[in-house]
Amino acid sequence: MASFADTLRVLNDMKASGVVEEYAVAGAMAIAFWSEPIPTFDLDVLVFLPAVSSQILSLAPLYEWAKAKGYASKSEHVTIEGVPVQFLPAHSPLADEAVEQAATLRYEDVPVRVVRPEYLVALYLEPGARTAKRRERAAALMESRTLDRRKVEDLLRRFRLEP
Amino acid sequence: MAPASKPRPRASPELIAALRAGKSELRRERETLDLREKVRLVLELQRCILPLLRRRRRLTAWERPWQITP
Repeated sequence: MASFADTLRVLNDMKASGVVEEYAVAGAMAIAFWSEPIPTFDLDVLVFLPAVSSQILSLAPLYEWAKAKGYASKSEHVTIEGVPVQFLPAHSPLADEAVEQAATLRYEDVPVRVVRPEYLVALYLEPGARTAKRRERAAALMESRTLDRRKVEDLLRRFRLEP
Repeated sequence: MAPASKPRPRASPELIAALRAGKSELRRERETLDLREKVRLVLELQRCILPLLRRRRRLTAWERPWQITP
């Protein structure tokens, strides 16, 4: 049976082989890295896709890579070593910065890039993403000892987000 | 008009504060678990929550416990 580390290894392989330019784990699994584990059924991964001539980004090359590797894709998720992974192209300057500033942590022997908790809070507070569940997650993260409140305030100010 | 409910004894503010502090303490303990243990807990949570979700709504294709080891 595969392990969670196997899934993370594949993320690193995707970067090494140029399928994605950069990645960072986000969402509930990122919260688990920084704070307490919460239920989730998928692994959200923010990505920078390689530059293409077209102005419109497409995940098609990524899905083609997955198919060639034997990873099934369904409902915008690719099941990598037993874990449904949703690849989310960075959608805003805040998401760009979240990927750029991600921390490299280790899971077992595998390095993994994870969105920092301050950015997770800010991403949850983006307009259009403020569902009750996301606000609740932002509030829970704000109580975490791993979080730097001044950094959150800075992000909210710079990206004009409402607390 | 709803009948006035019977006055009930209430917990003291100190007790409520202690209960909240206990919750925070548990949260802090879970925060400091090693990552493998956290992933094990996520897998456990998936198995616990699935029957509840299934009763509430139709599950999407990817809402299944991960068939992995931590």
